[in-house]
Formats: sequence, structure tokens, C-alpha cells
Amino acid sequence: MEGGMAADRAVREPRILAIDAGGTMTDTIIIDRSGDFVIGKAQTTPEDESIAIARSAEDAFDYWKLPLRDGMGSVVAGVYSGTAMLNRLLERRGQRVGVIVTRGMEDYFKLERGVQTHLGLSYSDRLHVVTHRHSVPLVPKSRIRGVGGRVDMFGNEAIPVYEEDARKAVHDLLDEKVEAICVSLVFSYRNPSHEQAVGRIAEEVMAERGQRVPVMLSSVICPTRLDFPRLNTVVIEAYAAEPSRRQLFRVREKFRDLGASFEPRIMASHGGTISMEAGQLVKTLVSGPIGGVVGVKYLADKIGIDNIVCSDIGGTSFDLALITGGEYALKNDPSIEHFKLNLPLLELDSVGAGTGSFVRINPLSQRIEIGPDSAGSRIGLCYAEGKVDTVSITDCNVVLGTINPDYFLGGEIKIDRDKAIEGVRKQIAEPLKLSVERAASGVIELFEESLRQAVITKVLGRGFEPVSYSLCSYGGGGPLHVGGYTEGIPFRDVLVPAWAAGFSAFGCACADYEYRFERQMDLAIPPKSSAEERHSLGQRINEAWGVLSDEVHAEFAKSGIARSQVRIKPYVRLQYMGQLNDLEVASPVDRIRQTGDFEKIIEAFEETYDRVYARSARSPELGYFVTRLVATGIVDCEKPALPNDALAGETPSDSAFKAVRKIFWRTQTIDARIYQMEELRAGNVIEGLAVVESPATTFVVPPGRRARLDAHRIFHLS
Amino acid sequence: MIPSYDSATLRDLLEGKLPWSEVHGIMSAFKDPDRFDKMLEIHQSRVTWQDRILLPYGENLYIVQTADARRVVKCACGQEFGDYRQNWKLEALIRVRSSQAEIEELYPKMMAANAEWMQLREFICPGCKTLLEVEAVPPGYPILFDFQPDLEAFYEQWLGRKLPTGAST
Repeated sequence: MEGGMAADRAVREPRILAIDAGGTMTDTIIIDRSGDFVIGKAQTTPEDESIAIARSAEDAFDYWKLPLRDGMGSVVAGVYSGTAMLNRLLERRGQRVGVIVTRGMEDYFKLERGVQTHLGLSYSDRLHVVTHRHSVPLVPKSRIRGVGGRVDMFGNEAIPVYEEDARKAVHDLLDEKVEAICVSLVFSYRNPSHEQAVGRIAEEVMAERGQRVPVMLSSVICPTRLDFPRLNTVVIEAYAAEPSRRQLFRVREKFRDLGASFEPRIMASHGGTISMEAGQLVKTLVSGPIGGVVGVKYLADKIGIDNIVCSDIGGTSFDLALITGGEYALKNDPSIEHFKLNLPLLELDSVGAGTGSFVRINPLSQRIEIGPDSAGSRIGLCYAEGKVDTVSITDCNVVLGTINPDYFLGGEIKIDRDKAIEGVRKQIAEPLKLSVERAASGVIELFEESLRQAVITKVLGRGFEPVSYSLCSYGGGGPLHVGGYTEGIPFRDVLVPAWAAGFSAFGCACADYEYRFERQMDLAIPPKSSAEERHSLGQRINEAWGVLSDEVHAEFAKSGIARSQVRIKPYVRLQYMGQLNDLEVASPVDRIRQTGDFEKIIEAFEETYDRVYARSARSPELGYFVTRLVATGIVDCEKPALPNDALAGETPSDSAFKAVRKIFWRTQTIDARIYQMEELRAGNVIEGLAVVESPATTFVVPPGRRARLDAHRIFHLS
Repeated sequence: MIPSYDSATLRDLLEGKLPWSEVHGIMSAFKDPDRFDKMLEIHQSRVTWQDRILLPYGENLYIVQTADARRVVKCACGQEFGDYRQNWKLEALIRVRSSQAEIEELYPKMMAANAEWMQLREFICPGCKTLLEVEAVPPGYPILFDFQPDLEAFYEQWLGRKLPTGAST
């Protein structure tokens, strides 16, 4: 599929390649110097991902009539995001891991956190205990050993570590033929000496036995509070991330074989990209929905928008994120599938409502219910090959006429409108005694209303006003419903990029090359602290930042990047003493040199606090509390250019106008003008009711609203 | 779509052979309206006697319509426990675990109940000697009558049909 500027070019110069390796399809987006792009697709090959990746890249280059080798040779940056590691985890296909914990804590996985028994279930299933089930432990009890000893919560040694326990534990686990040993002892983030002792003993025992397996310490991989998520994170690193690393190396080799000279990077959950050599590959466990948000941030920076809502409608879900003051928020203890983890994850809400969501009548209440399950890539009843027997949102759109059955994915997929009509009649319209059109439009109204509520809640729930925000809509279904779910909300602007369908992959290409490390500190800054106290606090903070930036540099060094190329940014996570939630602020100083520097950091924190909560809620009476310190390091990398077209007049050219089609809108049939997206020129204005079609997506401009295409090929819906 | 499952699936469900993902799917979906009749058929095919099952009553227990038009509680083995409006347990063999030693045959020491406060009563089928039910009650407590269904109301108001009368065939 082709996008960006429509003009044909004699010579293409591909610069950036981004891969989205999903469970069924592998997509590759290739972006050239001027911001044009193509998307190639291939069936995913789980046994060796590199095959599918090469095929989908070949498919993409094919649109530009470039042989794979020539194309690969001119690419300067490549980003990978995929679900392979997550699938490995969910299907329990990981390595044989052994675990050493503090004695008495050997049942971590058996007991787990209660919430893990119902994470990821639908709302009604979360309410009903009968559907809650313990997860299958990643590591069975037979490969978990306890070691005596105790560090208390202040980091003091209460009981020395029992070295004999450790020695025996390592022997036992090696006898069990483990492929990696994870060590996670309580309060090791505060004092790692016991873990280090166990690590040392493990090395000794392995040397004696002439065996070698990796040993991972939680105080190295994730030195943060909350021991169960910490253990999960370390074990997943050993269990799923390491085997994935081998797969990724194979991808890199394949690229090199094909003549590529760039170093492929991987999308990580904090919104940056990291190298395949990264010490903590577990950070790339979730990357799918993040790309879009990173892409919106990039767009917003370029066109000067501070506050923007990111909204993405895919086949199965509606994802929402906020960018406020040019920054998105990170969450520290995310839930990923059935796991509580200790990782920075871009804060994103997901509602189980997408274009593939099933529509049913609840037999008890006779009301329409949407989702939570969906047809996903099987589209709906209208797609015979999908073998679906329940009406989906897409079926309703086909009935109403907003989706052109002859132009779904540019006509690549055959849509049977009669099947959709028949399904809606039987399953929705007849039980509710409505006409087929009215039933379908009722479903869509309900669907859009639920999305609208989610959008409003997201903004108001944070204490913000929609008037200070813009909204960006993307994903295959975003432009189709954006008119509906923004109706009546006074956003500043509503943006629909013309390349909405490929936006997530585009977003991955916009991500910084960025490592992020953090460390639990728990430092109190009392309200009336002496200069001396502050000096020693300052020293501890500087020391920690030093360690963190060394960690950043060490990761970049693996990819051969010199210290001078890395821009280090220090952050502080602060809260008011006695409160429960901390906020992350970029530190205005790179080191604490004088007492005034403390005030600068506190000021930055309070400004953020005012923005997130309220100025009147400031509570400095008991002082402040530094929970964590963070350092990120960024290295410049090639990013996509935004198209910059010359403006044409408001009236679209004749070549853009395709036809007039009857569309059932709410209660009546209206003639809608249909346009071809690629033929529209910057400056063109489309009056509703109109439908702008492109192979990858359909953009609906509702009656009474208008859409203007700007120079960057972004529609502004007003 | 309102779900409906084939008999093989429901038989596996009954016998605990369905994988959890499928069981979960069935739990989360709307109730399949034909489930009761299909389950009744499956239960009927699993017993050797001819009396018509009106309602599954517990593991191995059924309320049936007999050849002489009585409605009785009946074990899968064919043993009858009398009219369903009477407590079937009174017709069962009863083993009472009332001493500490008897309770600790089942529960580890320190994790067992105090025999002065609680006893276990095991109800066993006189026909096949299957353990049908266990109740945990204070000593001297009357035997519990677990469940007396209102068969007429269930058939007429829930299933929308008359409770079968007359002899089973």
C-alpha cells in the first residue's frame, strides 16, 4: 500500500524502515527522504521471524520498483517492534529458568498477586470470581530455592546471607539443568550485597563444575521497590527476552546479508528505541500501541501543539493516551497480560472496542452490547473468508454505506454487503423491531458514544479541559469514527493524518534512540533541612545520577557509540512526603552543585503538580520525598520528514471526486460526495457529508462539519 | 449470536475434559438457551435405568419420574432415596467423624477442626457405596436438607412448559 504524497517520482531514496511483526502479519513501512512511504505485508513466520520480515520488506520496496538489495542498501535507520516475545511468554515457550529467592518466599509464583488471576479479562469477567484462575507459574517450585539471610527495609543487614544455602541452591538448580539463574532477594534495591554474594557463589560453583549459565540479579536488572513485580521482570528477562534476542540477531544478520548497513533498533515500552544488545531486553516486551503515541508527539512537536489526545482505533481496541505540555506520562508498575511488572511503560488506556468488535443483543435486557471480543482480522460477516457468525461494527458500517464494499483495502478484500445486511437484519434489527439501517446506525451511535465517553473521561479525569487540547485520530478505524467520537467536544483541533492506517509503524520510526535507567532512592527532604543535610542528599543524588548515566553509556558502548554523542537527561521522581503518588520531572540541573539547585528541582516538581492536580493541593508542609532517580540518554537518529506540499485552492480537483453515494446517516438517507484521498491537494476543503477513501482507510466528514487538508497531509476536522 | 453448543462439547464440559480457555468462553458468553435440555439428555444417556430425569440434583444424584409416576431422588447406580420433598440423606448410609482421630485421618494435625466443635458427616449410597455428600456441622445439629426445588415453578415459569406427569416410559 502506498501513501504520503501521491506524485510519482523517478528515483526513490528510502531512508527509514520500520517493522511491526504481529502474530499473524508482519508489516514493513519504508519512508523516503521526502516523507512518502509504502507499507509491505507478509504472513508472519514464527519459527524464524527474519523470513517474514525480509518478505514484507521486499513487498514494500516492490511498490517503488526497487529490488530488495538496492532498497536495503540506502536505508539508514531501522526500527523493529513486535509481539514475538510477548507470545513466547503467553504460550509459555521460554527458557528453563531457575530462581533463588529469600528463604520463606519460595511460593511467589504459586501465590502470585491476586490481581494476576484476572488481569486482562473483560469487565464482567473481572467481577465474577468464577472466571479468575491462577496463572501457570513461569518457574515451577522444583526450580525455586530459598536462601537464608535478611536485609531490612533500610538496607541494613539483619541476618547475614547463608552462603551454604546459596551454594546448595546453585548446585540443585544446575542439577535441574537450568538455562539461566535469576536471583531476587527482598530489599535488594536498597542493599544489593546479599544478591551480589549469591551471584559470586553462583560463579564459583559454576567454575567448580565447569558449567556456565547466565546469572541475573534483580538489583542489576530492576533495582526498584515491590518485590513480586521485580521478580517477574527479572524472570521474564531470562525466560522470554533472551530467546527473543537470538531471533533478533537473526533478523539483523538477514538485513546485513541483504546489504543493509544500519543497526536495527527495537521499540521499548518507555517510548524510545534501544539496541538488540541492550542488557534489559524485557523493556521491549510491549511496544505495539506505543508507536502511535510517539508518532503523535513527533507530529505535535513539529507543528507546535503542546497538548494533544492520541486516539487509535484498531480492529480490537480503542487506545487513548495524553500528551500534556509536550510530554506523555510513564507508568512504573504496568500490568502486561497476566503479569505485574516493574518497567516504565507509556501510560495508555485501552478500551475493548474496535472496528471488529462483535455486536449482540443481550437476551435478558434486549439491549445492544458491543464487544468485548472481536472479529479482529476476520473483519465481520461481510468477509466470507473470515468465517465469522456474529455481526461486527464493520458490518454495520457496510450496511450504512460509509464503507465502500468494492474498495476495502483498496479492493484487495472482497466485502459482501448483502451478507452484512442479512446479518444485521436477523441478529439486530428483527429482535429490536427496527429497520436494518436504523439498527445499524443505532449500533454505530452507541459505539461512538462509548468512545466519546472514554475520550472525555481521559481528559476530564486528569483535571484538564478539552478546550486546551487537540485530538489526533489514527489507526485503520480512527478516521471513520473520529467525527462521531469528537462530536460536541470542544477540542482546539481534530487532526487526521492521511497515513492514519500506517501511523503506528510511522510512529516507531519517529522514536528516539534512547536508553532509560532508574533506581529506587527513597530520600526524604525534610521541610527545614540544614545546608549540611542538603549537601549530603545532593551528593547521594549526584552519585546515583552518575551510576545511571554510566549504565546508559555502557549500553550505547555495546553499539559502538561514543560518550560524546550521547545526550544525558536526568529526571527525578518526587512526591510530597506522606502522599502516595510520585511525579516524574525533568531535572532543570544536571548535577546538584549548590543549595539553590534543590529549589529548582522542587519548583519543577510543583509546576508539574499544579498541572496534574491543582495549585491549591500543594502540600509541602512535611517536606518532599525522592522516590526514584532516572537518567535517559539520547543519540540522534534519522527521523521521517513531514511532507510539505504547496497549497492549492479550497475546491478539490475533478480528479479527486469519485462519485455520489447514498449513505444512511442517523435517521435518514443522504447523498454523500466521495473523494479519493491521494488526489486531494493541500488546502482543499471537504464539506460533510463526505467520504474520503484511500486503500488503507476511510475518512468520514459528518454533515455540518468540514475537513481541510494542510501542507503536511493532515486533515483538520472542524 | 446467542451461543449453542453441541452435545459432545457439553459432555466434555460435564466430565471436566474441556480446556480452560473453552470453559472460560462458555462462562463469559450469554447462556445458551438449549443448555438444560441438552444436559438432561446427556445425563439420561449416562445412566442405565429408564426413569426420566427431571432435574440433576447433585453429583450422581437426580430427581426422576418413576414408572409408577412418583418423583424421587435417585443415584446414578439406581438406588432410590424416596420422595424428593423428603431429605434424601435420611435414606443414606451415614458415617460420622466425631473424634479428633477420625477427623485427623483427613486433615493434618493443627490444620483440622476441633471435634468438640465440629463433626463431619459423610453420606454414602447404600447401593454403590459412593460418597455422595459431606456436611460439616456442630455436634447435635439436625441433618441439613440442602435443596428442595420447586419443580412445578421451575418448569412452568423458567422453561415455559408443564412438568411431565404420568409414568416414565
